Amino acid sequence: MSLTTNPSPRPAGTPTAASRSAVEPPRRRSARRTWRTRATPFVFLLPVIVLFVGFKVYPVFYALALSFTQNVGGVTEFVGGANYGRLLDDPLFWTALRNTVEILVIQVPLMLGLAIVLAVALNSKLLKWRSFFRVAYFVPIVMGLVAYGILFSALLNYQNGFINYLLTSVGLPRIPWLTDPFWAKASIIMAMTWHYTGQNAVMYLAQLQSIPGELYEAAQMDGANRRRQFWHITLPGLRPALLLTVVLSTIGTLQLFDEPYVLTGGGPDNATLTIGMYLYNSAFKNFDFGYASAIGYVLAFIVTAVSVIQTLVLRRRAQ
Amino acid sequence: MTASPCRPWRTQVSVFTAVTALSAGLLTGCSMSSSDGSAGKDTLTAWAWGAPAAGMKATAEEFEKSHPGVTVKVQDVGNPAIWDKITTGMAAGGQGLPDVMDIGGDYMGNYLETFPDGFANLGDMGAGSLEKDFPSGLWKGGQDAKGQQYGMPFEVNTNLVFYRKDLFEKAGVDIDSIRTWDQMLTAGVKIKKATGADLFAVDKAASQADSANFFMMLARLQGTFFFNGKGEIALSGKESVDALTFLKEANDKKLVTDIPQSQGTTSQMKGQSPVAIMPGASWMVGSFQDTAPEMKGKWGVRMSPAMKEGGYTASSAGGTYLTVSKSSKQQELAYEYVEYSMATLAGQKVITKADGLFPSYGPMWKTAAFKEPNPYFGINTNELVIEALSQDTPPDHYTKDYPKALKVYDDAQTQVLVKDADPEQALQQAAKLLAQQTGRKTAKD
Repeated sequence: MSLTTNPSPRPAGTPTAASRSAVEPPRRRSARRTWRTRATPFVFLLPVIVLFVGFKVYPVFYALALSFTQNVGGVTEFVGGANYGRLLDDPLFWTALRNTVEILVIQVPLMLGLAIVLAVALNSKLLKWRSFFRVAYFVPIVMGLVAYGILFSALLNYQNGFINYLLTSVGLPRIPWLTDPFWAKASIIMAMTWHYTGQNAVMYLAQLQSIPGELYEAAQMDGANRRRQFWHITLPGLRPALLLTVVLSTIGTLQLFDEPYVLTGGGPDNATLTIGMYLYNSAFKNFDFGYASAIGYVLAFIVTAVSVIQTLVLRRRAQ
Repeated sequence: MTASPCRPWRTQVSVFTAVTALSAGLLTGCSMSSSDGSAGKDTLTAWAWGAPAAGMKATAEEFEKSHPGVTVKVQDVGNPAIWDKITTGMAAGGQGLPDVMDIGGDYMGNYLETFPDGFANLGDMGAGSLEKDFPSGLWKGGQDAKGQQYGMPFEVNTNLVFYRKDLFEKAGVDIDSIRTWDQMLTAGVKIKKATGADLFAVDKAASQADSANFFMMLARLQGTFFFNGKGEIALSGKESVDALTFLKEANDKKLVTDIPQSQGTTSQMKGQSPVAIMPGASWMVGSFQDTAPEMKGKWGVRMSPAMKEGGYTASSAGGTYLTVSKSSKQQELAYEYVEYSMATLAGQKVITKADGLFPSYGPMWKTAAFKEPNPYFGINTNELVIEALSQDTPPDHYTKDYPKALKVYDDAQTQVLVKDADPEQALQQAAKLLAQQTGRKTAKD
């Protein structure tokens, strides 16, 4: 009785104390391990989070604040929505928007159509050296902006360009690829198609691998020819990749900057001025950072709206 | 036993610390890396491009000799890349900028007005005493509206006309008899007939802003520019219309070769795209011998014809300025380098030899070396430039909206040369757009 009711502290080393000490440390370790386990991914993600906040989140909010300001004599002044109002009356902005939309509605369907054809061809078992062709079509996407610009400038040069050399050697007239407003736009579309088709083809190729071969076998047994197989098996099977590429290509084209920057500088006479180029010119040529930020936000709004609409429409069709 | 479970944790902490430090380094260091800001206490960095960079590299070597322990790193950033880099640095409050920057005269006003805290005041460091050694208009081009000195004139440029002696001779045209641009046009027709060469080249699609150079020269020869002294838009004035009409007439007579600006100069100098004349700035005197040494003796150079009998035959062609960035931690040392390069005979001899540019520093014009004939052109080109500079030509009013004016003009020129638009209407449209974009008034003739 006295042993069990003894209120004094238990001497160290008693069986009870020993049994507790044997139980507690593992519990602490377990708690620590749980905390550590939970923290580990965040610890490793932290550098990325730091970079993401520094280079993405902060500039996004800073640009928003900047879009409500103007630099007057070196002093940044709050001007409310004046920059956005100015955009509505700016003919160059509307020219840039119209150019961007024109390029978008021609280039994206053209490129994605080509990419589907290419992906089906690259998926064919009849094709020899498939790996070589897959790599060859993907290579343009990794080419640097400067090399890309030099390559197309050399190809499209009026006097000494390779394409005009080919044209003249078969008796056709030279085409002013970069100096005529119509052909300059066509050149931008050509360059973009060359640059990005391979990337989209690779995405389609990956999606094609997921279409069960049995479907084609069954269709063949039912007497469906290759064209019907393409329309009723291949295209529906590509839908997830189609949705992804349509949305990504639209976003990319709406932000178009590289091609007009290296090839035409937005000219001639603003024929290839895109919203991206106009934003760049406003910020870095005219030092109008507030206005450029407003253009950026309007562009972001357009991109978001178009992407949401596309996703909704294409998903509904898929269902 | 107790230490063992902690070891991985410590390892994780170390990894975390290292990775975070690396990230932080990336965040803070990226913007600094371009300027080599960490290069050392006595290391100066400078940004320039092309010929000015070559000259600055030469003075850097000499400056280092007279300043033991000091290193001057001159980076040829390239044009137009240098403007993007400077603008980005200025917008970031001076982050990543070098100590010394070479800035085009046409950009000075825009930079000074947009980033008034971006440059060190050279007047505070003693530049004021050097004013007497430079052409006064040029000296003032390095000042802000309050007259504070921020730029030290690098080179001074005037427009000249480079011409192919052999083509003129073959066509039987005496270049010295040509006094007006209309006479030059008539000569161009003869030359085309006799040699097949066009009179001159223009980048009709205006792939680069420089495509406006010839127009600006013709407009300046009549005393006008994009803006007048009041800051009003002068782009649609009669003189500007006359200048663009001249270009249209030459184009209509099929005397204009269309060459992108980026490729044009070299191919013209080398005679690959044969043109009879290259109207251009005096800094090109040095470029010819570097770019087309094989054409020595075939090129001549003279002052410009006038737009009308008795009119101006010289016009300014800008220049550049050496500036010290306010964010530089070694402003005094940077100024010393700037002063040595721009305003001492020792520095000027080195820099002029290396870059072939025409110096702004007056005492340099009196040196013996400066009076020697240029073997490439067979005449004393320095005398020609001094003669042109001595003409009392009106100043250029760049304003901070110069880039916008250049853009709307380039588009108007393209409309005229590519789409056959009417020069007057095209310039009126351009002036209207510029007024809308800048809020400036259009000057009345």
